[in-house]
Amino acid sequence: MAKVTIYITPTCVYCKMTKEFFKKHNIAYEEKDVSVDDKAREEMAAKSGQLGVPVVDIDGKIIAGFDKEAIKELLKL
Amino acid sequence: MIYDIIIIGGGPAGAAAGVYSARKKLKTLVITDNFGGQSLVSDSIENWIGVKKMTGLEFAKMLEEHVRAHEDVEIKMPERAVSVKEAENGYEISTDKNNIYQSKALIVTSGGRRRRLGVPGEDKFGGRGVSYCSTCDAPVFRNKPVAVIGGGNAGLEVVIDLMPYASKIYLISNKELLTGDPSIQEEIKKSDKTSVIINADIQEILGDKFVSGLKYFDKNDNQIKELKVGGVFVEIGSVPNSEFVKVLVKKNQAGEIIVDHKTGATSQPGIFAAGDVTDEIYKQNSISAGDGVTALLSAYNYLLNIKKQSPALTEATEGKPAKRNF
Repeated sequence: MAKVTIYITPTCVYCKMTKEFFKKHNIAYEEKDVSVDDKAREEMAAKSGQLGVPVVDIDGKIIAGFDKEAIKELLKL
Repeated sequence: MIYDIIIIGGGPAGAAAGVYSARKKLKTLVITDNFGGQSLVSDSIENWIGVKKMTGLEFAKMLEEHVRAHEDVEIKMPERAVSVKEAENGYEISTDKNNIYQSKALIVTSGGRRRRLGVPGEDKFGGRGVSYCSTCDAPVFRNKPVAVIGGGNAGLEVVIDLMPYASKIYLISNKELLTGDPSIQEEIKKSDKTSVIINADIQEILGDKFVSGLKYFDKNDNQIKELKVGGVFVEIGSVPNSEFVKVLVKKNQAGEIIVDHKTGATSQPGIFAAGDVTDEIYKQNSISAGDGVTALLSAYNYLLNIKKQSPALTEATEGKPAKRNF
């Protein structure tokens, strides 16, 4: 199974929509809250070149924002 | 397949039109990116009448569920209208999914989107320090100096969102003074984290991998100045999503579709519009919903009228099949 990490902030709607999408498709994921986790914030910026959430990491491949089609493709849904 | 009504947009105006269209038993299609409109990203909506407080996502789900409760309403989502043209029996809409749909009447409720600065660096650093969503991204700028562009209420609220996180906040306006509510201005000015810069035109957003600063023209002393910031939040108003209707309907200088505010009718028979895409003065969810209902009821009357007119058309063509076939 693919290793999925999502970088989020608690107030971000697109983060919630992404998590709901994972739940709907029974995808296990690790959640990192960059509003409290300094290390995760730096990790996100370094990995993705992004200073915006959500960022999704699927087996090392990065998706910025809630991009349903890209997630579906990487997870072969 | 020709729909009675195609509704473009899923914000409060589009959802209201969808619900009323279903109740009028019209063959209805809704084409939209998503439900909820511009409020989708809102942290807290406290002025939707009947609900004391909810998030933008809750609002969006509420609208979607209400439209979907009417199984006859077809929904194409996410899909975006890219052009509209006149067809024999009404209108033809082309979309970004390369689909073409036809309807007898059209309701445009495509809302607005955030206005961009239009300066070098803005596109390049989108998601790399330039943000249009403080509720999403404010915490990402912990311990960084940031700039907020725009001195209206939206700009002031972004400053409030950033206060717990940013190390320094420059609030920058191109006007002579801030236009947002005095009560929020006072709150902002109390903090020693914030400084207000007025009469400043942003010229460029600077950086390498991420934003590292910005350049502005200071109209007070006619000098170009630089600020070191790690983030730029842009809150300079919105623009109507009316481009896809092109020249078919009359628009004002701002690109807003001009409507008759009694009926929601545009300059083009059979095309109605409601909400933030129109020249409605007050861009409010509750008003957009009401306008959506007005537009739909007017469209319903329009459909009844063209139905009445069609036999006359048949007579005029002396037994030949009617040109308009309703």
